[in-house]
Amino acid sequence: MKKLDRYGYLFIAPFWVVFLTFSIYPVFLTLYYSFTNYTGSPGEEIVGFANYARLLTDTYFIEAFFNTIKIWGINFALQIGMALLLALLFSDLRLKLKGLNFFRSFFYLPNLITISSVALLFGILLDWQHGSLNMVLMKIGLISDPINWLAEPVTAQLSVSLILTWMWFGHSFIIVMAGVSGISTDYFEAAHIDGANRWQMFTRVTLPLLKPILLYIMITSLIGGLQLFDLPMLITDGIGSPDGSLNTMVLYLYNQAFKYNNYGYASAVAYGLFLITLVFSAMVFKGMFRNERAAKKEA
Amino acid sequence: MRKLVSLLTIGALSVGVLSACSDSSSEGSSDAKKDDVLKIWSFTDELKEPIKTYEERNGVKVELTIVPTADYPTKLKPALESGVGAPDVFTGEIAFLKQWVDAGYWENLSQEPYNADEAADDIVPYVFDLGKDKDGNVRALSWQTTPGGIYYKRSLAKEALGTDDPKEVGEMMSTMDGLFEVGEKLKEKGYKLFPDEGSIRWFAQGADPQAWVNEDNELVLTEGKQKYFEYAKELRERGLTALAPEWSPSWFEGMDKPIKVKEGGKETETQVFSYVLPTWGLHAVLKENAKETAGDWAVTSGPSPYFWGGTWVGVYKDSKNKEAAYDFVKLMTQDEEFLTDWAKETGDVLAFTPVTEKIKDDFSDEFLGGQNNYEFFLGEADSIKPGIVTKYDQQLDTLYGAAVTSYVEGKKSKEEAIEEFKKQAKNAYPDIVVD
Amino acid sequence: MEQNAETRRMLPDSEAQPKRKEDRPLQVAPPSKPKAKKSFARGLIYTSLILLAIICFIPFLMMIVNATRTNGEVMAGFTLIPGTALLDNYATLSEYINIWNGFKNSLIISVSVTVLSGYFSALTAYGFTFYNFKGKNAMFIFMLVMMMVPAQLGLIGFYEISKTLKILDTFIPLIVPAIATPFTVFFIRQYTQATLHISLIEAARIDGASELRIFHTIALPMMMPAIATMSIFTFIGSWNNYLMPLVLLFSPEKYTLPVLMGFLKGSQVAENLGALYLGIAISVVPIMIAFLFLSKYIVSSISAGAVKE
Repeated sequence: MKKLDRYGYLFIAPFWVVFLTFSIYPVFLTLYYSFTNYTGSPGEEIVGFANYARLLTDTYFIEAFFNTIKIWGINFALQIGMALLLALLFSDLRLKLKGLNFFRSFFYLPNLITISSVALLFGILLDWQHGSLNMVLMKIGLISDPINWLAEPVTAQLSVSLILTWMWFGHSFIIVMAGVSGISTDYFEAAHIDGANRWQMFTRVTLPLLKPILLYIMITSLIGGLQLFDLPMLITDGIGSPDGSLNTMVLYLYNQAFKYNNYGYASAVAYGLFLITLVFSAMVFKGMFRNERAAKKEA
Repeated sequence: MRKLVSLLTIGALSVGVLSACSDSSSEGSSDAKKDDVLKIWSFTDELKEPIKTYEERNGVKVELTIVPTADYPTKLKPALESGVGAPDVFTGEIAFLKQWVDAGYWENLSQEPYNADEAADDIVPYVFDLGKDKDGNVRALSWQTTPGGIYYKRSLAKEALGTDDPKEVGEMMSTMDGLFEVGEKLKEKGYKLFPDEGSIRWFAQGADPQAWVNEDNELVLTEGKQKYFEYAKELRERGLTALAPEWSPSWFEGMDKPIKVKEGGKETETQVFSYVLPTWGLHAVLKENAKETAGDWAVTSGPSPYFWGGTWVGVYKDSKNKEAAYDFVKLMTQDEEFLTDWAKETGDVLAFTPVTEKIKDDFSDEFLGGQNNYEFFLGEADSIKPGIVTKYDQQLDTLYGAAVTSYVEGKKSKEEAIEEFKKQAKNAYPDIVVD
Repeated sequence: MEQNAETRRMLPDSEAQPKRKEDRPLQVAPPSKPKAKKSFARGLIYTSLILLAIICFIPFLMMIVNATRTNGEVMAGFTLIPGTALLDNYATLSEYINIWNGFKNSLIISVSVTVLSGYFSALTAYGFTFYNFKGKNAMFIFMLVMMMVPAQLGLIGFYEISKTLKILDTFIPLIVPAIATPFTVFFIRQYTQATLHISLIEAARIDGASELRIFHTIALPMMMPAIATMSIFTFIGSWNNYLMPLVLLFSPEKYTLPVLMGFLKGSQVAENLGALYLGIAISVVPIMIAFLFLSKYIVSSISAGAVKE
């Protein structure tokens, strides 16, 4: 057996060769660049922590951080709310709704479409003067003046949040539904016997049991959300217009590196983004488990 | 059995993958064996015609790659830096020209066997000089000179201004006040002076425009540049534009057809009177998009002379095909026969004086109702000051335009918008000194 | 991941909650007019659901209709009646962009990535599951930690190493890294531990089969359900990847579909809204059609991916 165990190395060797070359080494190379003034041509100089010092006072990066959080937050609240509501409706034993498969697939559809296509599509649908959306809204009388969706920071961010919701609520719905159907009906029957109403069943039975699933959705959505890039880049001019409101952290990273050729600084931005992701993920975990413990104590 | 099949499928697919990889890699690195293909990169389809001529004459196949202007520098730079997939010939727009002549991506054309300096006397001096690097070596050449004008629709001019004569219309618009007055007259008839507020940027700078960044690497925000804010706002507030941003679909649509404008809660149909465009705007933009209104156009001057754009072309320093590549550059910039045909067909105003001298006197363009645009533009070309071109232009122009827009739309005060612009400029180019 | 397991272990606690309430006699729902009320509520819910489905579909509908209309018609207003400019729009579009080429590139990359990722992840997961070698646990934990690192962190370094290896502007840096996908390894390992027993492998060894052969003939087929589940995510992720090909590819003839879409926006096609809509529609509709056939499978994979993990 001992001899055979050497084969283990053989089996994992391809993985490690590629992993070290294309994942690990680049991470350290980026770390090195973050301490230089590299501009894409050889001959960079070490500048110490200058890039990080700049990062801490860079209002654009800070703004990009808050933009990202705002856009993600609104989208997540809506997305998870809709997913929960839909899952509750479809799992309600008294309603016995039909067509779960149909609706589930239909709501999921936007998630499969390439984000750059989605961005382009909404970029022209939301056009102020000639976008089809304003035209329809005006025709049915919901608005009297065209809304310049993508020219005002507030509406632009809201538009991006809603597009993200549109893309992702079906996905979350599928996962929540999977979680809900995994809950044994015994719990609901017991609660029913105890005279719990729908709201009590939701808050006292469903929600606590769904916590791991919700945590999963939240973490994956958060990590994805902090990396928001394609949509804000392609829906307006690629530098975060209007008024910097669609400037997200990864868009900023991309522009600093590949548009302005400040590779050194962009590397520091990458590490800043990474730290923020770490802190936020930790906070989500901690928050979730503190609640868990608190709930346990209460009980 | 089934397992075996699935195994075989996987094996076949992975072999396919690996061979696909090696295919694409060999494609990238083996320019040497494809000597008969000349690769050219550009940001417009302008070069299609000259390429056809070149292919016919030299029997060399040309592969033209077009990358939109916004992505062009971002895509081309890494290709030039790494040499992977790099072209033999590539063009440069004036906005990024400065950066590229000094970066050394273009072959030094002053040296043997090109001896481009011999052509110095035949090319408009400012055009020739802009293609030189900081040591005075020629890196790129251009075939065109790009003074600007205002293209307008004759029929609308007659109706609103009482005349369609370029001289008279130009006279009316020779001051900023005059320009706005013309705008009001058009408004009375239900027409719009310009498609958008950006149209006025060249004239706002006045007769003496300055570079964005001076020799001391300081950002210079002249009064002229700042006036752009006021003029743009005034255009919007007085309702003299059709709210059709430059290069947007409605901007193009307005050239040929009435377009709808929604303002103040109602929708009106209007026509756009004029487009502020330089020489190349005629063939590359107007003729491409205005079909029904062809012949109804004329060109005249605005409140102040300006120039806009221009395309330079040079040979990539690591090209394996330098001779053939320079042949193309020569055809494009110094071939009398070809350039005469090109000028007559497109109306492009050339920088090659042996041809311009020959054709300027009896030139006339059908699209412009028979007007001699050559004479007009060559006159305007005398006032071009090439010193204002810097390597920062493309990004700074974009940022500044966004700042003006935020003011025009009432989101920021002028001071706030300028502050914001300075901050952004500094952020994009930390080496620039911003006060 | 361990935390997740922990949560699940804690779950039974909450089951105490409903039972804790004081016992009440079984209460039957009020008998008066329950039927009518219920069917009214159901009608309302169905209406809202259908409305929501329509809202979800409206952007696509606008896209498809506008793809058949001229620039002027699109700007003049929206109607549901298709126009007649489909072929003209297609001619305009293909004058500047070869969108099918983008499809081909995306397909080559995504299929290769999916196959490589599936095969090598299974290989690695097998190595981690059935052999006891030095440093195994450390390596596995290191891999899990690195799994949390977002791809953007190494982006600039990745670009630089591709430059050094002279593989910029090729598909290699988009395909080969798929050999190392930690999450897939992790997922397949979890699955394998639960479903594949070592005795099967030992039996094969006694029969004299080589290690690699055992993997190919016994383990790989049994891992297929897990591989298939992850393959769906891998394929979708690779198909929609925008940032990497945007940074790594220069030549337009090598662009993938997402990059081509960004390209479309800046190109002369964007002067004509009808043609632009058509370009977007061509990138979207085939996916929608493929989804029609695969939706059940995809939905169940997403459920499995979340619940199993």
